[in-house]
Amino acid sequence: MSYTITCPVCGKRDLYEFRFGNEERGPAPKQDGLTLEEFNDQVQMHTAIGGPQEEWWCHRDGCGVWFRTWRDTVTGREVEKPEAAS
Amino acid sequence: MKRLAARPTNKIDRSTPLSFTWAGRKMTGMAGDSVATALFANEVKIVSRSLKYHRPRGLYSLDGESSNTLVNINGEPNCRAETVLLQEGMKVEPQNTAFDAEFDPMGFMDYMDGQMEAGFYYKKFHKPAALWPFFQNRIREAAGVGRADTHPHYHEHDFQELYPNAEVVVIGGGPAGMSAALSAAEAGCRVVLFEGRPNLGGFYDWRTREYDGEELTKRGSGLVSKVNSNKSIRVLANAFVMNVNGDNLVTGFQIGTGSDPFIQRYIEIRPESVIVATGCIERALVCENNERPGVMQAGCALRLVRQYGLKPGEKAVYSIADDLGIESALGLAEAGIDVLAVADARTEGADPELTAALEEAGIAYYDGWAASAIKGSKLVKGVTLATLDGTLDTDFDCDLVVASAGQTPLTGPLSTVNAKLAFDLHTGFFLPQEMPPRVHAAGRLLGLTDPKAIEASGRLAGLKAAAENGAETDIEKAEGELEGLPGPARGCLLAHGPNIGLGRKAFICFDEDGTYKTAKQSADQSFDVPELAKRFGGFGLGPSQGGIPNHNLPLILAEIRGDGPESLKPTTVRAPIVPPLIQTVAGPGHDIFKRTPMEAEQLAQGGLLRRVGVWKRARYFSEDLTCAEEISAVRNGVGMIDVSTLGKFKLFGPDAQKALQRCYISDMSKIPEGKLKYSAMLNDDGCIVDDGVITQVGPNEYYLTASTGRAGGTIEWFRYHTRYEGWDFHMVNLTDGLAAINLAGPKSRDVLAKVTEADLATEAFPYMGYREIEVGDGVPVKAMRLGFVGELSYELHFPASYGAYVWNLLAEAGAEFDIRPFGLEAQFVCRLEKGHVIIGQETEQRVNLRDLGMSFLWAKNDTESGKIGAPALRFTAEAENRFKLIGFTMNDGEPTPGDGSVIFRGDDIKGFVCSARYSRTLEKSIGMAIVREELSAPGQKIRIYQNDRNNPLNMGAVVTPAPFYDPEGLKLKS
Repeated sequence: MSYTITCPVCGKRDLYEFRFGNEERGPAPKQDGLTLEEFNDQVQMHTAIGGPQEEWWCHRDGCGVWFRTWRDTVTGREVEKPEAAS
Repeated sequence: MKRLAARPTNKIDRSTPLSFTWAGRKMTGMAGDSVATALFANEVKIVSRSLKYHRPRGLYSLDGESSNTLVNINGEPNCRAETVLLQEGMKVEPQNTAFDAEFDPMGFMDYMDGQMEAGFYYKKFHKPAALWPFFQNRIREAAGVGRADTHPHYHEHDFQELYPNAEVVVIGGGPAGMSAALSAAEAGCRVVLFEGRPNLGGFYDWRTREYDGEELTKRGSGLVSKVNSNKSIRVLANAFVMNVNGDNLVTGFQIGTGSDPFIQRYIEIRPESVIVATGCIERALVCENNERPGVMQAGCALRLVRQYGLKPGEKAVYSIADDLGIESALGLAEAGIDVLAVADARTEGADPELTAALEEAGIAYYDGWAASAIKGSKLVKGVTLATLDGTLDTDFDCDLVVASAGQTPLTGPLSTVNAKLAFDLHTGFFLPQEMPPRVHAAGRLLGLTDPKAIEASGRLAGLKAAAENGAETDIEKAEGELEGLPGPARGCLLAHGPNIGLGRKAFICFDEDGTYKTAKQSADQSFDVPELAKRFGGFGLGPSQGGIPNHNLPLILAEIRGDGPESLKPTTVRAPIVPPLIQTVAGPGHDIFKRTPMEAEQLAQGGLLRRVGVWKRARYFSEDLTCAEEISAVRNGVGMIDVSTLGKFKLFGPDAQKALQRCYISDMSKIPEGKLKYSAMLNDDGCIVDDGVITQVGPNEYYLTASTGRAGGTIEWFRYHTRYEGWDFHMVNLTDGLAAINLAGPKSRDVLAKVTEADLATEAFPYMGYREIEVGDGVPVKAMRLGFVGELSYELHFPASYGAYVWNLLAEAGAEFDIRPFGLEAQFVCRLEKGHVIIGQETEQRVNLRDLGMSFLWAKNDTESGKIGAPALRFTAEAENRFKLIGFTMNDGEPTPGDGSVIFRGDDIKGFVCSARYSRTLEKSIGMAIVREELSAPGQKIRIYQNDRNNPLNMGAVVTPAPFYDPEGLKLKS
């Protein structure tokens, strides 16, 4: 695991300074009236796509910020946000 | 051996003799010698014995490309004699010899090849199975390489680390690498240049041929001094790259020479750009007995003469396949060695200037010929040259055979960084087709042979790298310059010498004695591609990791399969490309830990420190590991424990309460002034991740504690679970800024009263109360009445700089009550008696808040705040036979089970013991366990199994509700 991640505050840094915070899935659904299926979808059923994916990362050994970035899960590398995703 | 007359290309310092020993015999070398050349200078022709057949092996290359010259140096096994510079007093020993490299009684193994066909170790000695362990040991003994020193005497600084910063890393210090480094540095980049040899120069270091009226060695020394005087270039000599990783993370290591304070040091750099200019090594000629001592590479023979002043032999025969081979022959002839013949596997393409020089020197030149067999049982005695089709042959008596099938590129770094390589029929090289971003290749590994073209390709790569780092460069001009120079030269595709099938052993892999026959046997059993044959037959798995066989094996297998060379596919190269010592990767082994502010005081009082997470903490205060006196002090008098490692946080801001409501499972909206709230944080599964107390210290301002292990992750957790809302709140980690002491025991109020004027009466400062008080000479203290150990106790948080002062203050004040410090183990027992859980000890990922019997913490009706874990608790409300946390008491006479022992019924595992101890207070063994609900009812009999060092115990216990001690909590509240 040798690639780099770009922190919005500190810039490009080694991966091992960061903590992975899962793929971007939007805010948790409202708990009032939440069904088991919805809950399961949010917590367990990740997309796990091969290719560019938006993810959360925390600059744990740096400024501590949580931020979103795009990464290609096949190569492991950070990528530009794909145009189709805009 | 007498050295040849001095020349400008010499790398040895004749005025500095160095003495060393070889197998106990005293020998002398010179400064600048490698261990291998020093041995050669002392007529040591046989350096080691081969892995399987115990065949004699000697100097073959000068770059550590095979296991031939693996030796033990000063007790360190498996050193590559060619890459270690000789130092005064070195003790060099041969390895993998039963007696001596020269006379090895295991030499009979050479006649056992019929028993050791491809894959023999997968087939033989396995039936009956009981015999395998016996044979395994015999085989390991016979086929070992070095013996590890089990009592190494390393010093603290023997293995170091270096993390330089650079925009550009250049791998290889030959003409291409030096040119690349110079052009990148001149364009403003900081450059780190890796060179595996002791000095820069590559081919320029020993080639005296003239190009454009200038000797290459002169050109080389010009470049070297330019590189060395450029302050933006850091040259790392004797340094090897292990891996070029994603996003250009370059890892490598450097071997220390006599003047370095280290044996090896690990190097890690993340440059913007990487330039690979590793060049080529020689492809071995595969023919009968092609590894007899006395057979060597063309470059090795020439370098011995030019750089070390050594005669590689008296009578030489060459079998080569490129112009460098002819240059080598001419170089040896010039040094007075009798070169009898040069066989060239090419029929066309030789440089006419060189062949004319051969004729002039009276050396017979056989084009379209190659060596087919080498004679001599221990050392080379002669050679048979034959036409490639094998129809004509002729014999020579000689003591040196220079055998080479041409050049082959060192693509290791390109391969590890995932450059796409493809076989090129023109050069016979695997050439890069598609490069990853910011990685460039330059020089001879692209197939270039013209020195000017090699330099130009280096300059171009250097400029490209500089451009990637923002420099303005004229890349087009450099490209034009390269295009005007000769392109890649035709390479030789010869897979092996003539009449290969007739012989017995023609080696493809020297490390593991993999022969042409082994390859054929592998292919016959359908392991006919390099990846399979490699593992089945044993090629390239040895110390050189494919240095020699990687280039011949694919060609030979393609021929055996009947495919053309166009079928060749690159194989995967894995790091380390060049292996370092394991110590180098392990590093100096600093134990990095945090000390609490009261560590010195506790040590003075007999504290025995143990590693706990990132901290060292006092676990015991005497050799009595049951801590009887410590526990007695807490239960009957007063004790104090350093709890500075607790996570301590300030949380403030307009939205602070919303954040608390999100992350804690309880209702955090109403914390009465001066009161502490105990609550827990859950994850999405409803499992408890942390517990602690929270108090409101002002408007929108809270103080909270976390367990020691969670101190580092708490802020991250709050931020993660509020990341979409953008709430306005802040957290400050005060863990290291505040020291903490828990003063516990029935007499703790009396002790505290002596050092503070605050009112400590229960009415004024009740259980779960929070007060800001002053202690001693005005130390501000956050005092909390908590009861983790089950007694009246005060947890005091105060600035860490007062740690020693407050500790000593309490110790003095408590002297009349026989106060004593207690450690983690005593605390562990006391809280177990009280049934208080430790997160991670009494919890695990399958166990949620309800299973722990702590659902009273949960604000069930709150669906608004989005409490983490609340949905999981709702959805599991009706689940059956989940795990439950229980207390248990061991039956009379049973021992105390170890933490983690299994709880079973019949053949099924039903749970495990979380913690268990003998309680002196209760005079019985008690514990807490996680079991299936079916076994959780009070009074239920359970069986506990433990197998401690082959001493199986089957113990009986009965489920007993915790707390075991003071169930009504009267003592806490007193």
